[in-house]
Amino acid sequence: MSSQPSRWQAVEFGDRIRRLSWRGSFGRKGLEPILKTENLWKIYRSSKVEVPALQGVNFEVNPGEFVAVMGPSGCGKSTLLYVMGGLTQPTRGRVLVDGNDLATLSDAERTRLRRHKIGFVFQRFNLLPTLTARGNIAIAQHIHGNGFDPHRFAMITRMLGLTERLHHRPAELSGGEQQRVALARAVIHEPKLLLADEPTGNLDTRNSEMVLGLLRQLNRELGQTIVMITHNPEAAAYASRVVHMRDGVIVDGIPAD
Amino acid sequence: MIAQLVVRNLFHRKLRTLISVLVVGVEVALVVVMVGLTTGMLQETAKRIEGIGADIMLQPPSSSVFLAFSSAPMPIRIRDRLRTIGGVRAVAPVLLQSSTSGGLDVVYGIEPESFRAISGGFVLHEGRELRDGYEVLVDDWYAAARKLHAGDVLRLFDHDFTVVGVVEHGKGARLFVPIRTLQQMFGAVDKASLFFIKCTRAEQTPQVMEELRTLFPRYEIRPLKDLLSMMTTSNLPGLDAFNRSMIALAVVIGFLVILLSMYTTILERTREIGVLKSLGASKAYIARIFLAESALLCAAGILVGVGFSYLTQAALTSLFPTLSVQITPAWLLRAAAIAFGAGLAGAAYPTWLASRRDPIQALAYE
Repeated sequence: MSSQPSRWQAVEFGDRIRRLSWRGSFGRKGLEPILKTENLWKIYRSSKVEVPALQGVNFEVNPGEFVAVMGPSGCGKSTLLYVMGGLTQPTRGRVLVDGNDLATLSDAERTRLRRHKIGFVFQRFNLLPTLTARGNIAIAQHIHGNGFDPHRFAMITRMLGLTERLHHRPAELSGGEQQRVALARAVIHEPKLLLADEPTGNLDTRNSEMVLGLLRQLNRELGQTIVMITHNPEAAAYASRVVHMRDGVIVDGIPAD
Repeated sequence: MIAQLVVRNLFHRKLRTLISVLVVGVEVALVVVMVGLTTGMLQETAKRIEGIGADIMLQPPSSSVFLAFSSAPMPIRIRDRLRTIGGVRAVAPVLLQSSTSGGLDVVYGIEPESFRAISGGFVLHEGRELRDGYEVLVDDWYAAARKLHAGDVLRLFDHDFTVVGVVEHGKGARLFVPIRTLQQMFGAVDKASLFFIKCTRAEQTPQVMEELRTLFPRYEIRPLKDLLSMMTTSNLPGLDAFNRSMIALAVVIGFLVILLSMYTTILERTREIGVLKSLGASKAYIARIFLAESALLCAAGILVGVGFSYLTQAALTSLFPTLSVQITPAWLLRAAAIAFGAGLAGAAYPTWLASRRDPIQALAYE
């Protein structure tokens, strides 16, 4: 008997319509989700006050999907991303990334999982200011441990239009260029899942479109699975599926095209 | 990759790097120069005493090998008894007094004739030998330091002495006055602090020492060829403790500076730590970055410290020609190890903090 819950088990979670709807739409019945959350809770405790950021989130992403998670500020989008990325532990519930239950993993094991299977892109780019663009991308390969792969490096930097900017430091790059470097850093080690937290939040319209276009290109050409947090409907429109969150729960899930 | 990150981080924060390196350098120089100064002075003194050319030194009971602490309790007529011992060629009584005018100097009160019989005489650079009265011979280092020449007046023990000659250094003291003058000045008529004894042949030294031990059972009888090994910081009361205190102080300075430097570095780079964690960097990987950074700071500081040590040595010997600062490879290595150990110990806590940073809090850090 499989350890993964079946589609009919998912019904018990009370989100039957949503799940049947998107599985049907994408025709991926039988695919194991690359990411799955089950009754996910995250409660922040500050002295005697409890703030529930996630209140029983059930969510699945199949390999090759580009999912946008939308919602107003404070609805728990970023918390969901961090929990899914293993940066923090849920208070209750399960997160399965490529079959690994993050709740059962130690800190070191979650770190290893992030290293090999997850890439992050942040709103504020978060590049290391002392390294060049090349160094910022190469350090991800170094941490990954497989050494520098010149072929993959050349392919990614060419795709993201960074070839001419590799010797510049973040301070010498525009916002759009910095985010493209961050994108390259996130996918250089071929993660199974790319998690992007408001990747266009600090960019102007032109650069936002460019970055979103590149995300879509990565998804379509390399089959990169992407979960993107955004509050911008125009950004969400680039995704193949949009999920809405409110007050720590997912309120629907509709195909975007 | 880590090396590149570490080097670039150090260059990115130039002022802090410079200050940290300089302080580690001062720490190293402090240890090297302090130890070099104490051992240098002792070794140089020992060499000077050896340079007298005597074979044996006889001192009263419980006397220190450090002559500055000697007094004058021995009757000078002991010399007559010493002369009767077989194998003794010459005996020279010396009365010692420490002068504190312009530094601590041991002044030898000597009989010119008997001292010449032991030492073979002074090599005069200028002037003449001692005769009597308020006359003083100074060695060339002392003369250079105080800019003295034959005919000048030197104030010693609150009296004016005439510099009658400048002699080659290396014959015990830097200042020599007639023994009678010193005896009268300090109420020690017919007294001596020690006797230098020259044997007929050097091989007779053990035999003469045996005889001396029989005749003067509680006296300090020392062969001068062993003096160098006896003149160590551990044989001078308090000096070893002083050296250790200075080393401990240097260790604390190095520890605190690296601790502070790395702590502020880690605070400043909290967001970077979060990014590295999000990329999957392990605790060990992050610890390696900060430990490597501390190690590089220490290594650069050690190199600077070696340079500082030699510069300080040059400056001290130029300003105070009578000082001797002995810098040895062994103490350079020890000082380097001390600085390195203190630096890494100082980096340990901030590194531990960095490796345990919560990634979410680190990423949210402003």
